[in-house]
Amino acid sequence: MASIAGGGLNLIPTESAQPEIDLAVLVKSYSRLLFRVAHSVLRSRTEAEDVVQDTFLRVVELRRSLNAIRDMRVWLVRIAWNLALDRRRRLRPEQIDESFAESLVAAGMPADEMICEAQRMTAVLREMERLPKAERHVLLLSAVEELGTAAMAEVLGRSESAVRALLFRARIRLRERLEERGGER
Amino acid sequence: MKNPEQAIDQVLAGLGKVEASPGMKRRILANLEESALVSAKGAPRRVWQMVWLGMTVASILIAVAVVHQPGKTSTKVPRHEVVSTPPSANGPGTRVQQASHLPVEKILPARGARPAQTVRRISAGDAALLAEMRAPSHPAPEVPLTQEEKLLLRAVRTGDPQVIAMLNPEERARQEAASEAEFQEFVEQSNKEDQQSDQTTD
Repeated sequence: MASIAGGGLNLIPTESAQPEIDLAVLVKSYSRLLFRVAHSVLRSRTEAEDVVQDTFLRVVELRRSLNAIRDMRVWLVRIAWNLALDRRRRLRPEQIDESFAESLVAAGMPADEMICEAQRMTAVLREMERLPKAERHVLLLSAVEELGTAAMAEVLGRSESAVRALLFRARIRLRERLEERGGER
Repeated sequence: MKNPEQAIDQVLAGLGKVEASPGMKRRILANLEESALVSAKGAPRRVWQMVWLGMTVASILIAVAVVHQPGKTSTKVPRHEVVSTPPSANGPGTRVQQASHLPVEKILPARGARPAQTVRRISAGDAALLAEMRAPSHPAPEVPLTQEEKLLLRAVRTGDPQVIAMLNPEERARQEAASEAEFQEFVEQSNKEDQQSDQTTD
C-alpha cells in the first residue's frame, strides 16, 4: 500500500516479508534515466516528463507485484519505454523533431549555418524514423548513455548479440540513406 | 549529406545528454503524493460499495430461496380444480368458487395471461379474500338503535295528541283553515264595531 511517511512515499508489498520500497528514493534514483529513455522516443521535454510520472504511477498501481521484480531498473525502463512508444503514436513527430534539431545546433554559429545544421539534424531524425522498427528501437536506446547492451537486451526482449547486430545494421543503413540523400541534393 | 556519421553521432549525443527541466523530481513526487491521498480517500468508499453490493446480492438470494421453497412449488393440481373462467359481468377477471370448497392450494390464471396455460398459485386464505372481494355488493343490514338514539326518539314522541295530530297533513290543513277563518271573523267584527262607534260620535 502506498503511504506517506516522513515526507516519502512507501510502497509496502502485500507479502510484507520484504522491506518497504521508498517511492521517493525510486524517483530520485531513476527519474533522470527514465526521462532520457522517454525523451529518446518523444524528443519533447514535457512529454517525456509526463511519461516519467506515468511510470511511477504505474509502479504505485502494480505495487502488489513488486516482490516478483528481479531488476527494478530494467523494469522501470521497460515501463517508460512502452509508455513513450504509446505516446509517440499520438504525436506529430515532424514539428517536435524540428524544434529538437534546433536545440542541437550550437548557439554561437552564424544564422545561415545554424539553419543548415538544424536541417541536417532534422534529416537525421527523419531517417531514423524511417528505419525498421527493431533497428530504430536499438539505435534510440543506444543513445541513452546509462544503458548498456545487456540492459537494452532485457528491455527489448532480445539477446545481447541480436542487439549488437541490430545496432550495427541500423547505423550502416542510416549512414547509407543519409549519403543517398546528400547525393540527391 | 557530408559526413553523415558525424551527424548521427551528434544526434545520438544530443539525445543522450538531454537533461530534464529543474524541479521534475519534486513535481513528480508531489503528484504521486496527491494521487496516493486520493486513492486513500477512495478506499473506504470502495469498501462501502462492496458491502452494499454484498447485501443486495444476499437479499436477492434470500428472496429467490423464499419464492422457491419446497412446500410451495411442486404440488400440481388437477385441471378441474384450476379455476379459470372468462371475464364476467361481476368482476374483471375470474369467478372464484366458494372458499369452503377450495383446496388447500389453488391455481388461478395470472392477469393478462392465457387462462389454461400459465397460472398463478394462491393459497386458500387468499382465495377466500378474493371471493369476498369479488362478490356482488348488497345494501348493509339494518343496525339496531343505540341507547342514545332510543332516548332521542322517546324525547321526540311525547304522546301529545295535538302534536300527533299536527303530524297528519289533512288535520293540520283543516286546523290552519279554521284558525284563518276565526282570524277573518275577528277582523270583520272589529271593523264593524269601529264603524258603529264612529257613527255614534258623529
